[in-house]
Amino acid sequence: MKWLLKLFDAMRPMFDEKKGVFRLFTPIFETAENIFFYPADRTKAFPHVRDPLDLKRYMGTVIVAMFPCVAAAVYYFGPRVLAMILMSYVVGGIVEVSFAIIRKGEIHEGFFVTGMIFPLVLPPSTPLWVVGVGIFFGTFFGKEVFGGTGRNIFNPALVGRIFVTIAFPTIMTSGWDAPGAWRGVADAVATATPMALFKTQHVLTPWFDLLIGNTAGSIGETFHLGIILGGIYLIYAKVCDWRIPAFYLGSVVLFSALGSSVPALEAKVAPPLFQLLGGGLLFGAMFMATDPVTSPSTKVGKWLFGVFCGLLTVLIRSFSGYVEGVMFSIVIMNAFAPLIDHVVLAVKYKEARTG
Amino acid sequence: MNVSGELTQALVVAFSAAFTGNILLTKFLGMCPFLSVSRQVKTATGLGWAVIFVLTGTCMLNWAVYRYILVPLNLEFLRFILFIVMIAAFVQFVEMVLERYSPVLYQNLGIFLPLITVNCAILGASLFMVIRDYSFINAVSFGLGSGFGWMLAILAMAGIREKLKPERIPKGLRGPGITLIIVGLMALAFIGFTGVLSGG
Repeated sequence: MKWLLKLFDAMRPMFDEKKGVFRLFTPIFETAENIFFYPADRTKAFPHVRDPLDLKRYMGTVIVAMFPCVAAAVYYFGPRVLAMILMSYVVGGIVEVSFAIIRKGEIHEGFFVTGMIFPLVLPPSTPLWVVGVGIFFGTFFGKEVFGGTGRNIFNPALVGRIFVTIAFPTIMTSGWDAPGAWRGVADAVATATPMALFKTQHVLTPWFDLLIGNTAGSIGETFHLGIILGGIYLIYAKVCDWRIPAFYLGSVVLFSALGSSVPALEAKVAPPLFQLLGGGLLFGAMFMATDPVTSPSTKVGKWLFGVFCGLLTVLIRSFSGYVEGVMFSIVIMNAFAPLIDHVVLAVKYKEARTG
Repeated sequence: MNVSGELTQALVVAFSAAFTGNILLTKFLGMCPFLSVSRQVKTATGLGWAVIFVLTGTCMLNWAVYRYILVPLNLEFLRFILFIVMIAAFVQFVEMVLERYSPVLYQNLGIFLPLITVNCAILGASLFMVIRDYSFINAVSFGLGSGFGWMLAILAMAGIREKLKPERIPKGLRGPGITLIIVGLMALAFIGFTGVLSGG
């Protein structure tokens, strides 16, 4: 590797922030350097994790945890999935790099997670230009205007997802590819998602199909077994806190059990096991609600966040005009996360002062 | 309708006013104080309570005025002017009573009371109540729900703005710009409530 180090050393003056010939491209140079060599400086922005873990490895762990979902997505929905991921990386990357150049800042690895999550929460037949529009909106308005990675209030991937859901309702709700349709092994080309089947016809998809992902749905959300494994890995690697997924899933189970036991609501509220394994709940609870930047940082705040996410998810899934409530509930709770922290800290300090 | 049915309906009206049809995030009413007084959770709380109180009070008052004065006299077209007058009078009256009998509360709410006289959410709620032909109980719960929804939104915004670190936000967007973007994103998320208990 010595020759590479020498090469970077030789190139560094050209990319010097103040005097270099290519000073406009300093961020790109630094990123390239950091891919090969461990950076000497520490993280300057959130998320700071109490661990010998830096931002890059943090993001790397998330990508590794999502790998089973991506593999299953390619198996079920075909190589088109890879094109969507590529599209997301290219468009999102352009936004990220342009902001870094204008700010003369560095390019954050946080983008690699957003760019991966966003295509995974889209329907498999989403046109590539919609992928581009969504990731552009998400990165631009969800993250960069707030100051980039670590400063965002809302989850950028979900901001993009909600934007395209509302902007292109027909594209986003019609045509869910049946799993395996691209290889010609499915009976039908398009089918309805398990959540939609329950809402319109009260059909409960068998839990085993849900577990192995043999259903229609957003690209990365169907293979629940892989999501569970990835989530356990994330918690084990201490990249995400166990409280949020635990309280999120727990409250979904609790509220759906309560709701489905009331005779008048039985037709609207699906039973707990179906709620857990259907739709994007596990994917959202493991990979998106746990984002340390957009969720509360206090422990009590984390479980409050999880409980309210669960309540809203059951509420929106059962009673709103939308089939799936995970993305809405997480973004709504993103908005309340700073307030939750504020209240928790205020109560704590009050106790400390009086007690 | 029996009592329990009426109560359920009142709860539905309150819920839908607070979430499904949040007066700030779906109708964009009451934006000016929302933008200017959302820098700190503490002041936002004060303004929030004041809005809940005034909204509920004026809804009750205007319901009675509309039902027992304007409708019998066939003067419904005067409701815009009359409602504004009623709101201003109500706020003035409350301010005077508070100043006399509860100086502490006056200290806390005092600055905000005159501010919200001109809050369009207050007038908006009274007008919605007339359009939707609410009963008295429903008008009260609509006022309470709308006020609560407004307070929830401004509290969330105040929490966010305390957390925001302006130095990395693009210069032109600092202050009102980024606040409007945040409201927009919050409104986007609240679209998820569409259809939840919107009846009533």
